[in-house]
Amino acid sequence: MLKRLAAIAAALSLALFGLAACSSDSATSEADCGSESAFCIGLVTDTGKVDDKSFNQSAWEGAQAGATAVGGFAKYIETVDPKDYATNIGQFAENGYNVIIGVGFLMAEAMSTAAAQYPDIKFIGVDQFQGAAVPNLTGLVFPEDKAGFLAGYLSGQITTSGKTGAVLGTDTVPPVRYFGEGFRNGVAYAANELGKDYPETKLVYHAPDNAFNDPAWGGATAKQMLSQGFDVIFGAGGNTGNGALLQIAQTPGAYCIGVDADQWGTLPEAQPCLVTSAMKLIDKGVAALIEAAKDGSIAGGNFFGEVGLAPYHDFDSKIAQEIKDKVAALTPQVLDGSVPTGVKL
Amino acid sequence: MKRLPLSGVLIPLLSVLVAMFFGGIMIAVQGINPLYTYEVLFETAFLSFDGISVTLAKATPLILSGLAVAICLRAGLFNIGAQGQLISGALASAWAGYYFVGLPKLIHIPLALLFGATFGALAAFIAGALKAYRGVHEVITTIMLNSMVIAIADYLASTPFKEPDQPLTRTPAIQDSARIPDIFGIPFGFFIAIAFSIALWWLLRNTTTGFRIETIGRNRNAGWYAGISVKRVTILSMLVGGSIAGIAGAIETLSITGRFEPAFNAGLGFDGITVALLGRGNPLGVIPAAILIGGMRAAGSTVQFKTGVSPEIVDLLLALILFFVTAPLLARLLKRRHENVAITSGWSN
Repeated sequence: MLKRLAAIAAALSLALFGLAACSSDSATSEADCGSESAFCIGLVTDTGKVDDKSFNQSAWEGAQAGATAVGGFAKYIETVDPKDYATNIGQFAENGYNVIIGVGFLMAEAMSTAAAQYPDIKFIGVDQFQGAAVPNLTGLVFPEDKAGFLAGYLSGQITTSGKTGAVLGTDTVPPVRYFGEGFRNGVAYAANELGKDYPETKLVYHAPDNAFNDPAWGGATAKQMLSQGFDVIFGAGGNTGNGALLQIAQTPGAYCIGVDADQWGTLPEAQPCLVTSAMKLIDKGVAALIEAAKDGSIAGGNFFGEVGLAPYHDFDSKIAQEIKDKVAALTPQVLDGSVPTGVKL
Repeated sequence: MKRLPLSGVLIPLLSVLVAMFFGGIMIAVQGINPLYTYEVLFETAFLSFDGISVTLAKATPLILSGLAVAICLRAGLFNIGAQGQLISGALASAWAGYYFVGLPKLIHIPLALLFGATFGALAAFIAGALKAYRGVHEVITTIMLNSMVIAIADYLASTPFKEPDQPLTRTPAIQDSARIPDIFGIPFGFFIAIAFSIALWWLLRNTTTGFRIETIGRNRNAGWYAGISVKRVTILSMLVGGSIAGIAGAIETLSITGRFEPAFNAGLGFDGITVALLGRGNPLGVIPAAILIGGMRAAGSTVQFKTGVSPEIVDLLLALILFFVTAPLLARLLKRRHENVAITSGWSN
């Protein structure tokens, strides 16, 4: 029996040998990465997947776009355990990569240690605010509170029940907190403008453990809110938020708002409720920084990316023109700071 | 009772090989060469000094959490709470690590480990007491306790024990006097884990307490009939298991993470279940099992980098190993009614 098993295993292994395949369709191929001419870009995700439909995915898309623009090569490693941040960054550092992108606030410490250790490599930290500037480490940061505020303002305008809520990742990650509090303040601003007395927006945060990869919790929390009559809910927290969006999509008459990227395209199952997304244009920011790294104009410190509301898509015809005009008028005022969001940063 | 060491090793070994075979198919389906993948895996984990150093560092908490589950298995209990007990121990030892200032290393480290063991035992005690005095199945209580403990730890790390002046949920860093050093590149904690493994093996084999544990594990009623206090031994086993899991968390904190941060101890308690079952409940058997699993986890980053295989491959292989290790045991328990190597009394008690 054992011999037969071994024989089958050997035969199949030989067959599997031939199944090795590899493909690479960018200008530089991986093998060149140590050399002078090659420009290689490595991306280390936060815990979560590279196809999480928002955060990690946007960063990866930006990396790919940047690689194409400069004729370089891009590769990612998905982080499974936060203890592996340094190891994953090291994979790229030790293999001659020119630019290493670390996605997520929790990776900040590992990134600054690596930046000190490898002064010739350019590091880009997405959502990593730099206190003191380090020459080879650029923090790509966004005014999430402004995007949240605009989303909240819209919500305050379109809600009929007056009850708005947000299903969020952990508030220990400042960008998530800024989204949430900005959203709440935006709703209040709209309510004030309309002269309505809406109850305060309910912000529900996940525990820090596994905050961005818990769609079941996100869905359950959204369901609870919907049963209490909430009709506009903001889902912000990677896969956790996606769970909420998908749950809301099943309830007719409820609106949901996505985050980070235009989730209309990345999470089509949410379309039935997805009126807009509070976007931080991570992909644009990453691509711009990669180009800056290639031509040498990249600097340490912070680089402020763009935020905004995604297009309304199919909801364009369903929202009153008056509301759309108000949002459009308010947007530049919020973005340039003349209307403050009131969020303590 | 006949116990051939060869048959004890054969089933886990075969399980690993068969699991790797099916894992290889999944890798090939992704368009990647499975043999190259395994080559990278074993080379990274075991064939370089740096690699072995990381492997043993990852194996250390697994040996201990494996022991925590194994000692309870010996008593006929499923300790699914190793994760919660480990987190308790990690937080308690982190607190002891940063709170006490000015202690010499020789005192601070054992003190922190003691804190870890105590709070790990506390987490397990609740499950043990409920089982002993109320017959509540420990699988249910330990799983629930996991959630409770993790939530409490999250709260403590985010508010009363939070490191001031920074936004992350974590405790302050431990004092240097609490750090467990490396010996020739290998964390000293590894040797502590091996010592516990040998100690537990000796306990089970050569002491009356060990005999009592083994007896109630094989047949609770026979144990009771023989005059063993089943209640007390049940609680004792859970306490031992909990304290060892607590020490696992403590050593991880004092050697590797240097503080308590939620999500930095993910999966160690659950991997301990795999380790214990792969080691067939034998305190010495958990050592090679933990080294294998530690190696796989250590090599995960490099495997991803060099082959492009998704990181889930390690979890997939572990799940398959677990499946194949337990399948023959189940078959044997069903076919033959006598308990030869019944490492657990299952649901009947």
